[in-house]
Amino acid sequence: MQKLIISNTPHIKSKSSTKRIMIDVLIALVPATVMGVVYFGLYALLLVALSILSCIASEVIYLLIRGEKFKDILNKFDFTSAVTGLLLGLNLPANCPWYIPLLGGVFAVIVVKMLFGGTGKNFVNPAIAARVFLLISFAEAMTTWAVPSVGAIKTSTVATGATALGSVIKGERVISNLDLFLGTGVSSGALGETCKIALIVGYVYLLIRKVVDYKPLIYIGVTGLMTVVLQGSFSAFLPSVLSGGLMLGAIFMATDYVTTPNTTVGNIVYFVALGLLTALLRHLKGTEVVSYCILLMNFFVPLIDRFIVPKPFGYQKPKKEAKNG
Amino acid sequence: MISEKRATFPGGVHVPDNKYLAEKKPIEIMPAPEKVYVSLSQHIGKPSEATVSVGDRVKKGQLIGKEAGFISANVYSGVSGTVTEIKTISTPLNTATYVVIQNDGLEEEEFLPPIDKEDSQAIMQRVRDAGLVGLGGAGFPTYVKMATDEKIDVVLINGAECEPYLTCDHRMMLEHGDGVVKGAKYIAKALNCQTVIIGIEENKPDAIEKLGAYDGVKVVPLKKKYPQGSEKQLIYACTKRAVQPGKLPASKGVCVFNVQTAFQVYEAVEFNRPLYQRVMTVTGKGIKEPKNLLVRNGTPYAEIIAYCGGLTDNAAKVIAGGPMMGKILTSVDGYTRKTDSGLLVEDVTEVCITEPSPCINCGRCAKACPMHLMPMYIDLYTQTGNFERADSYGATNCFECGTCAYVCPAKRDLVGSVQLCKRKLRELRS
Repeated sequence: MQKLIISNTPHIKSKSSTKRIMIDVLIALVPATVMGVVYFGLYALLLVALSILSCIASEVIYLLIRGEKFKDILNKFDFTSAVTGLLLGLNLPANCPWYIPLLGGVFAVIVVKMLFGGTGKNFVNPAIAARVFLLISFAEAMTTWAVPSVGAIKTSTVATGATALGSVIKGERVISNLDLFLGTGVSSGALGETCKIALIVGYVYLLIRKVVDYKPLIYIGVTGLMTVVLQGSFSAFLPSVLSGGLMLGAIFMATDYVTTPNTTVGNIVYFVALGLLTALLRHLKGTEVVSYCILLMNFFVPLIDRFIVPKPFGYQKPKKEAKNG
Repeated sequence: MISEKRATFPGGVHVPDNKYLAEKKPIEIMPAPEKVYVSLSQHIGKPSEATVSVGDRVKKGQLIGKEAGFISANVYSGVSGTVTEIKTISTPLNTATYVVIQNDGLEEEEFLPPIDKEDSQAIMQRVRDAGLVGLGGAGFPTYVKMATDEKIDVVLINGAECEPYLTCDHRMMLEHGDGVVKGAKYIAKALNCQTVIIGIEENKPDAIEKLGAYDGVKVVPLKKKYPQGSEKQLIYACTKRAVQPGKLPASKGVCVFNVQTAFQVYEAVEFNRPLYQRVMTVTGKGIKEPKNLLVRNGTPYAEIIAYCGGLTDNAAKVIAGGPMMGKILTSVDGYTRKTDSGLLVEDVTEVCITEPSPCINCGRCAKACPMHLMPMYIDLYTQTGNFERADSYGATNCFECGTCAYVCPAKRDLVGSVQLCKRKLRELRS
């Protein structure tokens, strides 16, 4: 008989692990990445690859400087930085300069994640923070959107155009809902956010794997309904839901475990607030605000968790008890 | 009578039960060992006091340890023979005074005197005299539980057996269902209570059908979910009454007993047999022949393992009890107690040896917690030494079922944090 293993209860554990969850998110993002490359060409793939590389390299180099052994880093690697990298890549315009993802990756992982304590300790979503950082630093490059075209993968030139969102919301430019849904036509945007059907496929995968639940739908639904209220027209629902980075943000960025509340009630508050905020700011500013809204709401998560704490099972208000007893 | 609706509680988690290993094995009587090592501290409360001395001859069913105070329990010999030693032994589970009896193999019996089975006071006294404790695992003296001032209107028999792997309660209900039901009725009589409910998880349909056929008891099929057999969760599922944190079930008029406790009440009342044996499940992929065994109190674990064909080459972990709440054994040098519902040997394919990684705030522990606590914060604040803050998230309300640690993707030792926090709080507050 070999030596007995000693450990605390429980003596059986579920199969889920942080690594497995992150790999699931990566798999769920594959359709969106593929469609991004189909619509915007191979340069888009290069941008995504650079972004992932930058994130992983940043984490490894940071840990090496901290004096950890390369073997340990490899053993502990949990793919969170790969997810950050992929999400950041999908949030870029398809024709931005190559150094933008590199810089964004370093900012996301070093400044937002590692300096605050690594996995699980980042106070905002690293990919969102990096995108906002890049938007402020490279305002022009980050807002010059490529127009998707299925032939882009063959031709190397990509046309550019203004993001459709502002005009869609105001009802000026008419893009059919189908175009918005498929990401075809002139519905330009970040390289991972245009093809909604790919994002939905990813969402269904995450639902099956139980990584996320129904909550992104709250965000999307509330945004749509609020837009309807603000514009006083039901026809505004679908365009507002299908345009911009809402779906990518709602499904993959707002649901980041680290930066969402820990309770069911807290989560509902968080996602409803996100939806209201997004619709309102979109209406006021006439431009895409999903990243800013998620960033803003991330700051409120500790507050939500502080005040929304579930009562223990069987808890009764002391007042009631005094009356009964 | 079988209730039609499947009952359950909010929270919890589905755990693969692996009961197939021992489910179909009928209860087997294990021959009494050469020597039994009977602990005088196998219940919650004060250790009992030895009533025999070295060299005394004892019979099967003879008192060897007398209760010392209100919360304590009598201890009886499971064999006939000679007391060879009374000494303090340290086992992987505890350090206590043990009475060592050399078995002479004669099986001479000396049981309790007969009582009037219709007299509720007599039944109550018999439960106390027979040394009955909660056989589900907690080991709280049954008499103390029954001697409540509250009006009890529901006697709830716990046949959920939600711990994976364990099957002894299931076999008990199948093979001795009659005794279980009669025992439950004796308890109800002693408590002057009309309603007897038996909660059984739906993965034991044969037991539900069997016990449902008896008159005067209501069987509630329960959803298969861990920890369905935990006292407060079971009460909620069966009666929709929620016991307040820090309060006893009696405050809601309910008393919960394990099926084996009910059976032992039946044995004590009808056959005057005190508690000196119980049925336990010896299972796991690390054991060659999983079995449900009727063992004498104080049988060495090593002999039980040997009786079940020994350990396999891949055996990696030995646990007293089930996999979720069972106590880890550092070696097999232990002796069975009244509370041992199982002896589980996991092999290398069953153990989880993943190192804990940082919490990613996924919230799965809080969602699964049957007590609606926030294990991630208890862990965080305990690890940073802020125990009062950890308690504000419910550390002292936790009964350490392990659901949170089971679902945790970061494999954090959440139960360990709760245990540490409770210990530190006791030190701080005393």
